[in-house]
Amino acid sequence: MTARAYVRQTLETGWRTVFRVGWPRTDKDRSAAMISSFFLHVHSAKVKPNSLRAAYTFGLGLISFYMLLVLTVTGVALMLYYTPSPDAAYRSMKDLQFVVTFGPVLRNMHRWAAHAMVVAVFLHMCRVFFTGGYKLPRQFNWVVGVGLLIMTLGLSFTGYLLPWDQLAFWAITVGSNIAGYAPGVGESAKYLLLGGTVIGSGALLRFYVLHCVILPVAVVTLVAVHFFRVRKDGLSAPPGRAPATTAEAAKGGFPPSARSYGLMALADRPAQPVVESDPDEEVMAWPHLLYRELLLLLAVVVALHVVALLFNAPLEELANPTRTPNPAKAPWYFLGLQELVHYSAFIGGVLVPGLIVLALVLVPYLDPSPRGVGVWFSPERRRANWIFGVFAVVTIVLTLIGTLFRGPNWAWVWPWTG
Amino acid sequence: MRAPQTAPPWMHLAFAALSVAFLAIFSWVLLQESFAEWRTRQAEFLAIERQVKDPHALALAAHVGGIRQIWLRDIDLVDRCTTCHLGTDDPDFQVAKQPFATHSGTWLTTHPPDRFGCTICHGGQGEATNYRDAAHQPVAYWPEPVRPRELIEANCGVCHRERAPAEAFLLAEGRQRIAAAGCVACHDLPGFSPDEIQAPHLSSVGYKVRPDWVRSWLADPKTYLPRARMPNFRLQKQEIEDLNAFLLSQRETAPLDSSGVDWSKADSEHGRILFGEARCLSCHMVDDRGGLLGPDLSRVGSKVRRDWLFSFIKDPMHDQPDTRMLRYRFSDVEIRDVVAYLTTDLVDPEAPENAPAAGYLDPKQVAAGRDTFVKHGCFSCHRFNGLTPTAKIGPSLMAVGNRVVERPEFGSMNVVPTLANWLYLKLRQPDSLAEESRMPTFNFTEPEVASVVVALLSVRKADFPASRVTRAPSSTPYTPQGAFGALVSRYRCLSCHQVGGSGGTLSTVPLDRIGSQLQRSYLVSYLQNPSAVRVSIEERMPFFHMTPQEAATIADYVGAVLVDDSLERPFTADTEAARRGEQLYRRLGCHGCHIIGASGGYVGPDLSDTGHRLEAGWIERWLAAPQTWKPATLQPDYGLKAEDLRDLTAYLMTLTTSARGRNP
Repeated sequence: MTARAYVRQTLETGWRTVFRVGWPRTDKDRSAAMISSFFLHVHSAKVKPNSLRAAYTFGLGLISFYMLLVLTVTGVALMLYYTPSPDAAYRSMKDLQFVVTFGPVLRNMHRWAAHAMVVAVFLHMCRVFFTGGYKLPRQFNWVVGVGLLIMTLGLSFTGYLLPWDQLAFWAITVGSNIAGYAPGVGESAKYLLLGGTVIGSGALLRFYVLHCVILPVAVVTLVAVHFFRVRKDGLSAPPGRAPATTAEAAKGGFPPSARSYGLMALADRPAQPVVESDPDEEVMAWPHLLYRELLLLLAVVVALHVVALLFNAPLEELANPTRTPNPAKAPWYFLGLQELVHYSAFIGGVLVPGLIVLALVLVPYLDPSPRGVGVWFSPERRRANWIFGVFAVVTIVLTLIGTLFRGPNWAWVWPWTG
Repeated sequence: MRAPQTAPPWMHLAFAALSVAFLAIFSWVLLQESFAEWRTRQAEFLAIERQVKDPHALALAAHVGGIRQIWLRDIDLVDRCTTCHLGTDDPDFQVAKQPFATHSGTWLTTHPPDRFGCTICHGGQGEATNYRDAAHQPVAYWPEPVRPRELIEANCGVCHRERAPAEAFLLAEGRQRIAAAGCVACHDLPGFSPDEIQAPHLSSVGYKVRPDWVRSWLADPKTYLPRARMPNFRLQKQEIEDLNAFLLSQRETAPLDSSGVDWSKADSEHGRILFGEARCLSCHMVDDRGGLLGPDLSRVGSKVRRDWLFSFIKDPMHDQPDTRMLRYRFSDVEIRDVVAYLTTDLVDPEAPENAPAAGYLDPKQVAAGRDTFVKHGCFSCHRFNGLTPTAKIGPSLMAVGNRVVERPEFGSMNVVPTLANWLYLKLRQPDSLAEESRMPTFNFTEPEVASVVVALLSVRKADFPASRVTRAPSSTPYTPQGAFGALVSRYRCLSCHQVGGSGGTLSTVPLDRIGSQLQRSYLVSYLQNPSAVRVSIEERMPFFHMTPQEAATIADYVGAVLVDDSLERPFTADTEAARRGEQLYRRLGCHGCHIIGASGGYVGPDLSDTGHRLEAGWIERWLAAPQTWKPATLQPDYGLKAEDLRDLTAYLMTLTTSARGRNP
């Protein structure tokens, strides 16, 4: 064997220890490639064409996940420059803004991606509701999703304090005061969160640890569960076909996993299929799903870069506990609540958010009817769609009012007169 | 039908387009970083440097590249201004345009950048590395933009807390004005003491003033005195009447009895002569001539009552215990003539005759006047028995320079909403701003307001370490006791002279070591009959009519107590030394400023009688280092050798006028 042949063989062998299937050219190879890869195995080998339609999901779940990825990457980079102490935090921001290479872009991207993630997660929830995606057998994944929404808000809220400027300080002051309105436990919860009764170095350190360690670990864990369930239950069923699990559901039993086939299903189909549809009507995840995921990732990254280059993340004066801005506003996603707090601290601070979370968690169990899955605004679920639609619109309107239409002393202002 | 298992062409197109877009946007990020504003500036600087420097100097010049910063560790301040301002410490860039020009003046020598940075003096955001964010112009969310030239001295005052810092003329003027206007009466202000306020005691004012004068004074003090210290409180007509009644009812201490005085024989011409002899003009102004220590007397005859004035000149402390006015040893007849001169010659021809009597007997109106008195905080300046201020009537100004003003506070005034503009308007027209104001109008001129604004902007809550702050040395009031103390009090020496840093500043002669400077015999005769030594100075030592015993008491005391042992040294010299000293006197050109006999200049003191006037030890030490004794003196420091000092002193000690000739 010549030396050249030896090197070539070694490289080829080495390559195949990493990529065992090679570039897949047949459906069998494509399935094998998906299944043999740790990262790709999160997908099933085949997907329903309906779930690939952009207008069905708008890719909102994936966009939320990409935002999380971008936030993790930029967040880790920002951590290299950030010191979580009141003396140094604001200085860190200024250094990022003025001397760190790519500092402004990193920070802008982190900031805007964080806002975008809140929006994307909310819209994802709306999409899942309006397509009936929380119905049997996906009830629990809806609950996990509600948990992820709350954690997304928590991540954004804890990150809000870190720049230690006036905006951060007062938004967190207002936000944590809302938490303090809860009867009985409110003050204790606030004390636990802030590490004291006022926002100081203790609060900053707690928010930093929550933001960089506790909540990310929790979110990643929940995302894993969320994905696992999607992988096991499949995306919600396409229109025009009654779910195969109706019979089992009617009996009150829990249906077998809808996606429990693999290579074996392709090679040797069981006599009694438990799948809800014919795999032959599905398309290979490679390339149809993967390619779309790649395109969406590129689109998200490009869009975030454009936004980050055009708009700077806000940074106001150094936090000054003796100078209260008028009005002091919570982060925008809590301004709907602050608007309610303006009318009644108990209703806005405790009753409404508590009821919302409770209702969201109970949605799949309060609406057990299995009909109307997999299609937008199914006429079979008119009442549910109306109820949720009103909830979503009220949330958006209240948030807009709190954000744009409230001036000094929380008085009504027109945004174009300011 | 099976879906095709290869990707459709539109996806490849989308992939290509997105990839190009990503490449483009990421290149944009890279370009933005590599063409950062500061990099462009540094390239420009290097190009200019190659033009202004010869190759040798260029090789030696410090390498420029990358972000430069000054970190002041003790106050944790970072200034990156020198990233672009690259020529500040290089004289080769005198004519270069900004941001490369050499720093003006000698400021970088007195305030080296490695100890002071840039923004302590200039303001602006030192951490920024581009023009806009550095806040060269006001910018959102940075409270301290670069100070324009007319306000920059406000930043001097953050560290220089003494009243009049050298070279910060506007700041010094502003602080003097704050002291003179008595701002501290109503506002807490660091560095100013309410003790500085000079306003008459009003408990017996009913005996002192005429009702018509009170009315016009309260309506607008400037109509009586253009230089009136009291501001205009913009009082309503009814308030003026009430206050008038209240003030005229204040009769606590009756004036000294003048019933024995025969006013029909009063000689105002004699009074005028006495007024001149006593050098009243050193402190008082009459028709735009005279000093500012006491009130302007141009129209005093229209203001005060005759009997009160008689009593006041006879014993100023009788109803004004804190007055700076001294007590002359006039006889009753002399006082009568001076009073006649003041009340008949110095009157306002436009003062209304037969003005309606104030209704000070109406207890309702007196009570209303008292309310007005309290409402406007008159007691903040005027001591008044029974009304002691518990808290200042105006808001505290302890950190006024940090105040943040918002647009609505300007009301209808359409100006840029900066603190400087707000303060300017507040001082010029207190009622022009949104908030209703009780603050009186001070009628400052525009330049005066500008200086006060600068001084107020300097009052900042800067947590600088003490090592960075300079203050005026604290002085404890000098209160001598015994017979000497009584004389100091009677003649109010400290209204004009300083001892131990306390006292007035009218006199150029501090008294701390006067006993070692002057010969006793000269002092005794000077106190009884002061003759000017510095002929060019308007203010003169008053003619007190002091008795010889009093002069001796003072001379004995200062000769024993107000001395400096380093000046008390025996001096011996021969005529040869005096001759050499005379030559030296000519050679140094001393006669350019000093008079001997009839020839010489008028800048310095007359030296004709030096041999009888000064102590030799003092002359010698003074000439050795004048500035150590009196920092602001015009006397040049010639750096004389010990022999020269002795020769010059020997010559000066031979100078006497024949009248009191001690030497032939």
